[in-house]
Amino acid sequence: MSEKFHEELKELRREFCEYGAFSTLMLKDAFEALKTGNLDLAADVNARKKYLSSRSDYFDERLLTLIARYQPMAQDLRTIVCTLKMNTAFYRIGRYGKDIAILVPDFAASGHLGRMLNLPHMAEIVFSMIDDTLEAYESGNTSLLLDFSERDDRVDDLRYSVFREGITYMMEDPRNIGRCMDYVMIARYLERCGDHCCAMAEKIHYMATGERVDIS
Amino acid sequence: MTTETAIISTKGLNLYYGDNHALQEIDISFARNRVTALIGPSGCGKSTLIRCLNRMNDLVDNVRVEGEILFDGEDIVSPRADVVEIRKRIGMVFQKPNPFPKSIYENVAYGPRVHGIRDKKTLDLIVEKSLKDAALWDEVKDRLHASALGLSGGQQQRLCIARTLAVEPEVILMDEPCSALDPIATAKIEDLLEELKKRYTVIMVTHNMQQAARSSDYTGFMYLGKLIEFGETDQIFEAPREQLTENYVTGRFG
Repeated sequence: MSEKFHEELKELRREFCEYGAFSTLMLKDAFEALKTGNLDLAADVNARKKYLSSRSDYFDERLLTLIARYQPMAQDLRTIVCTLKMNTAFYRIGRYGKDIAILVPDFAASGHLGRMLNLPHMAEIVFSMIDDTLEAYESGNTSLLLDFSERDDRVDDLRYSVFREGITYMMEDPRNIGRCMDYVMIARYLERCGDHCCAMAEKIHYMATGERVDIS
Repeated sequence: MTTETAIISTKGLNLYYGDNHALQEIDISFARNRVTALIGPSGCGKSTLIRCLNRMNDLVDNVRVEGEILFDGEDIVSPRADVVEIRKRIGMVFQKPNPFPKSIYENVAYGPRVHGIRDKKTLDLIVEKSLKDAALWDEVKDRLHASALGLSGGQQQRLCIARTLAVEPEVILMDEPCSALDPIATAKIEDLLEELKKRYTVIMVTHNMQQAARSSDYTGFMYLGKLIEFGETDQIFEAPREQLTENYVTGRFG
């Protein structure tokens, strides 16, 4: 019985890693579509939201079933609770990808302002956090999560600088307002993804070690 | 357990059944007015340990006990300890309900009578109070003089708890009190534990990990005669420190 449970949990964890990668790719592809003005890729990202949502429901159900059937304890329980929380977070991250993708047409005619303010730099840090979150979940290597606080601080600073720079562009020329508002929104989405990573890092740390830590 | 006082604590407790070293250097403290559960695989020594606490192992041949068990500051391992007094203050409920083949009333009144209470009114009061405390009164109040053997298993077990309560113990030892009961009777006993711990200290051996997780405040995990880990129940089941405990509570044993 317990062997069956551990097999099921292991398999579900593997499937969840795939889900995390799927959701991450939505965000990365959306940002790529935004940078390059690739409308097809943007539409493709937008179309992935259905699968994103149905998989999230699937994990919710399966994880609840495991609790109901096996009443897991200790690390098994921590893994299930961590995965439940991460399920919500990765669903949100995929949705932010979709949110960015639907802004891409706004830039098709006019192109970008400057080098998209500080957004590419911000995205790079956020992507590194998401990748490390998934890696730590898969391997239990919590050392990848140690500097999340610092990375999150940098992301917050960059969000503020995008906001400031956006205001400058808007004051310069009111025709920039539409695009700058988009930049400010995108900066917010990326910053939220960073926050999700910090919350997930805490859960993963507890899952792997049984000790609670506070990350930013 | 910093804010709580220990009612019973053992120091360097060792027990031998002949050559078999069944308990090895057990240091454990049981907090007053709390439920403590002892878990572990069969043969780990958990029943042996609670049977030490009211000298039940005296009844087993070839047993040797070394070390100290302090109950309210007094060493109960000592040959000078009054065993009858200890068993009055530390009552016990067993795995299989074992009512006397007498009426419900007589089962509960038996203990107080042995301890010299003769007055009918006093006995009536004790019987009613004990049955109420064991959450059995409403089910049996109209047939107190019917045979206890006509009760269901769950009722019999609560009767045995009432019988233990009738002599006003301070500590109640329970050796797998629910393993012969169905889930509903088990739930009643578990609800009862919540009430009992307001006035008594409960120390319980259980094979049912979920039961330990649901109804105890502290849990000790034993393995091969040793106390491997002891802590708050939440900690033991959520984040055990010892790998052996982890393996046991997640079912990765053997």
